[in-house]
Amino acid sequence: MTSPFKQRPIALAVVAVLGSATLATAPTPVSAGKVAGKYVAGDFHNHTTCSDGSISMQKLVKKATDTSDTPWGLDWFVQAGHGGSGSRNCTLVEDASLSTPAYPFVAGQGPTTPWTNSIGAANLKGLNGGVGGNGSMWRWQSLQEFQYPVMEYLATLKNLPMYLGLESVVAGHEHTSMAVITGQMPAALDNAVLPGSAGYTALGNATGLAQWSYCFDRGDTDTSRGNVTGSNAGNNWHCSVAGSLNAGDPSWSARAQKLMPAGGAGSGDRGHLKTVEAVKWLAENHANASYYLPAHAERAGPFNSDGNNGFNVEHLRTFNNVGPKVAFGFETQPGHGASANRGEYHPNRNNFGGVQVDSAGGTTYGGTGVYGAQVGGVWDALLGEGRNFWFFANSDWHNRGSFGPDDRRSTQDFYPGEYQRNYTLVRNGADKLRPQSIVDGLRTGNNFSASGQLIDRLAFVACASYPGPGARSNAAVEALALAAATHNTDIDVAGCATMGEKLVLRPGADVVVAIVVRDPSGANYSPYTFDNPSLKQVGISQPLNKPVLDHIDLVRGLVTGYKTPGAADYAGEWPRNLNWLRADGSTATLAAVPAAAKNTSAAVLKTFNAAGWTAAGNDLLKMSVRIPAVTASQYLRLRGSNLPASVPFETDAGGNPLADIYTNAGSASLLRIPCTAVPSSVIPPGTFTGTTDGCPAHLAVVAGQKYVSFDVAAWADLWFYSNPVFVQVSGSAVVAGVR
Amino acid sequence: MSTPLPAAPAATAVHAAAAAAAAAAALAASAGSAGRRPAWPAWLREPLLHFVLLGGVLFGIDHFVLGRADDPRTIVLGAEVDREARQVFKAARAREPSAGELKALRQVWLDNEVLYREGLALRVDQGDTAIRERVIFKSLSIVEANLRRPAVDDSLLRAWFEQQRARYDEPARFDFQEAALAGEASEATVRAFADALNAGTPGDAKAGLRVFKGRPQANLVQSYGAAFAAALAAAPTGQWQALATRDGWRAMRLDAVSAARPARFEALRGVLLQDWTDATMAGLRTAAVRTLAQKYRVKTGPTADASAEVAAK
Repeated sequence: MTSPFKQRPIALAVVAVLGSATLATAPTPVSAGKVAGKYVAGDFHNHTTCSDGSISMQKLVKKATDTSDTPWGLDWFVQAGHGGSGSRNCTLVEDASLSTPAYPFVAGQGPTTPWTNSIGAANLKGLNGGVGGNGSMWRWQSLQEFQYPVMEYLATLKNLPMYLGLESVVAGHEHTSMAVITGQMPAALDNAVLPGSAGYTALGNATGLAQWSYCFDRGDTDTSRGNVTGSNAGNNWHCSVAGSLNAGDPSWSARAQKLMPAGGAGSGDRGHLKTVEAVKWLAENHANASYYLPAHAERAGPFNSDGNNGFNVEHLRTFNNVGPKVAFGFETQPGHGASANRGEYHPNRNNFGGVQVDSAGGTTYGGTGVYGAQVGGVWDALLGEGRNFWFFANSDWHNRGSFGPDDRRSTQDFYPGEYQRNYTLVRNGADKLRPQSIVDGLRTGNNFSASGQLIDRLAFVACASYPGPGARSNAAVEALALAAATHNTDIDVAGCATMGEKLVLRPGADVVVAIVVRDPSGANYSPYTFDNPSLKQVGISQPLNKPVLDHIDLVRGLVTGYKTPGAADYAGEWPRNLNWLRADGSTATLAAVPAAAKNTSAAVLKTFNAAGWTAAGNDLLKMSVRIPAVTASQYLRLRGSNLPASVPFETDAGGNPLADIYTNAGSASLLRIPCTAVPSSVIPPGTFTGTTDGCPAHLAVVAGQKYVSFDVAAWADLWFYSNPVFVQVSGSAVVAGVR
Repeated sequence: MSTPLPAAPAATAVHAAAAAAAAAAALAASAGSAGRRPAWPAWLREPLLHFVLLGGVLFGIDHFVLGRADDPRTIVLGAEVDREARQVFKAARAREPSAGELKALRQVWLDNEVLYREGLALRVDQGDTAIRERVIFKSLSIVEANLRRPAVDDSLLRAWFEQQRARYDEPARFDFQEAALAGEASEATVRAFADALNAGTPGDAKAGLRVFKGRPQANLVQSYGAAFAAALAAAPTGQWQALATRDGWRAMRLDAVSAARPARFEALRGVLLQDWTDATMAGLRTAAVRTLAQKYRVKTGPTADASAEVAAK
């Protein structure tokens, strides 16, 4: 990162032409017939004041998608707050700068104004609604009648691909990012004329999402069936699932027409069964128009039969079994990246009937939960079955902690796109991006996630190479990957596969893997210009806002087929508390993990760094490796970091991320990386501008010494994760989860 | 917080009541001196009257105290609010707010203040670690504001530097490479690989080549273990070796070592002054907090382990 940050479109075009010329001299590859698309960046888990966020819908959309005020400008955006209910009206803007003709600024009102003081108590629906109710609006009403119209209006006004989702409060577990896009953003909006004055009537609707929220969110204890308080007027929803017990289930409420499991002993088990029904309902009613992806999957610890806590591997398996096109992954890289406890994961976080239980894994590892970060852990166990189970990352934006929403510093959250991004291949052909093509893209798993703008392009290609005429050289596959990365797209060649796909080949074929990444020049969105204190420990001087990709690991695991529900290796809890994360911050090994939750065949097959990759111009780096004579089905995935192996308190000798407990201000006694740069300038509050060349005042201080913590810890420790490419060898295990 | 804000008015009220009682007693005593002054009417000596008068005095004092600006049910929208509103608005929009905008900002502030006070009344700040830490931070800032750095001269600084020398001496640094193998490997496998590497096999022939430059000795100890650090330091340069690390055998090659160098006071004087200041002020801060702690009685509760044990039973 030595030159200013530019995309240099002309230079890219030249490379593209050169890449095409190279291809033209080789035998013409057979097309796999894919619809054209590009990798586009987005976020699908974040909050407004309608749940427990701190800003309005309009302000959040502006922060996430703007390219001037906040420069990151996501390509697509999904607003998804908590299910249940809320008392504040997030559709009211903070000030006149956020005014739009349909939703003007109302003096004296803002996003913290209660519904009762804006629309009036008489307009609240459902149980406890109306005058004399508790003043809260059920999320189903909020989504259906208020949040969706704003979202549709803003999407149309700004011509941005956006839709509404939900971070469901999950029965039997903690939270899940989900959406039903049926009805949202209809094609008629393409020619819609927006009103020039206050008031907007939506052309589409979020009724499907609202109904799911009523039917299955744990926080929704409404029994009104989505109706006006004390009346039969309204949605009159019922929540039955074809082939299920429904009214025959002891948890069924005839009045509410939904499952309402009792609390107390066994509530976790009963809640989980309700959530299985929730996934079935999505698969039955919105098969291609919904998703269900557990959020911060490790935060709430392991599963608790008597409460609503975490997810074990068996629950992820079950969700994927009942809704393979719906429950196709998880958010194992949580948001809250600048929190005192990164991701809000920490020891003793959860209370299981009076007993303190750690987040699964204790903390995050380089910002990623242990399920995804541990090579050979839960994610690898699921991929080792040949499941379509994908890695995602989101901001989980709520607020800026000690700072206001217009401050570059944070002791809590980053804005959507500011730090973490999902780069999803969306096949929209000649059409514009739409919710359906985005959801289709997420479902395919052709997605990589990166923090801190470590990389912003990736082509990850695996091709079969047979002896004789079917042979492929490493250079030929690198050329395919280079052309794809140059155009920010994937490959479309028979006999090759990329993320979320499977390559089917005969035993004995070589697999040629080519990787091209773009490590963008210049500064990222960090406001800190001093040297990365983590790297400083090992004598590397590198500005915190100008990270350089240090290495990429190619991880391989074998595929052995689906586990059978009820079998001994189907279910197993990640070792809890000190059985995994010890008091000194070290961890146990996979030997402590039950067979169900690990894949011991997973290992780093190859590590690439400056000694092994080649600069291909325009910040692109290319590399390849040949896996000879493959005989067993397997998967390949990538991870990369700005941190080399053996950086104290950050990475181990194998390049694996260590527990983030050493940079969590919440564990002050274990803070270990000093931050010593003395600032000559400070970041002006409330303007979202400025940088500083020294360690900011809000860092944790122990015995007079500032330590790497909060947002500085996040910017110091960057990672990217790809989703896998599967290789299915004839006669070996079938990769059943992927077409 | 052991001294909540309402304690002050309550204490004032108690003092006032005591004074009123004393005055009433004096009144009664003086009324009893019939020989020197005219007798008071009988109704003036009625206990019921005294009760009513005392009650009235107490009510008046209570009304006066709670009616002041710090009455939790009185919100003052004063110049301070306007100033803050103007400042925030100007920072965001680079101009002064209009009268309408200022009015709206006042209303937003008022809404927030209502929520803040309602929250305090509901004690939602209790058990919130973020709020606790913020209060600690502000309290520490007050402590810091009352501290003064002691005088320092070169002899004091030099003595401190000699005590802390290990922090400033340049450690021995090592350039080395690792020819990585996929997964865990046995000693025999790594030895065979090291032999092959010495015979000309490229370093990235297996899982890749990791190149480390200028790694300090302490880093080697932490990442690979003390035995490895000693073995690498003793290894010949330019030759692949199978070396045992804390988590298994690795093929390593030492490329170069730069010897440790003692730090020079003169070159570091500015840094040392800053570090000495930080360390001294930290010591003063700690001492000040410990002094404050003396007014508290600290009771030691059961340990977390013991609690868990109790809960488990």
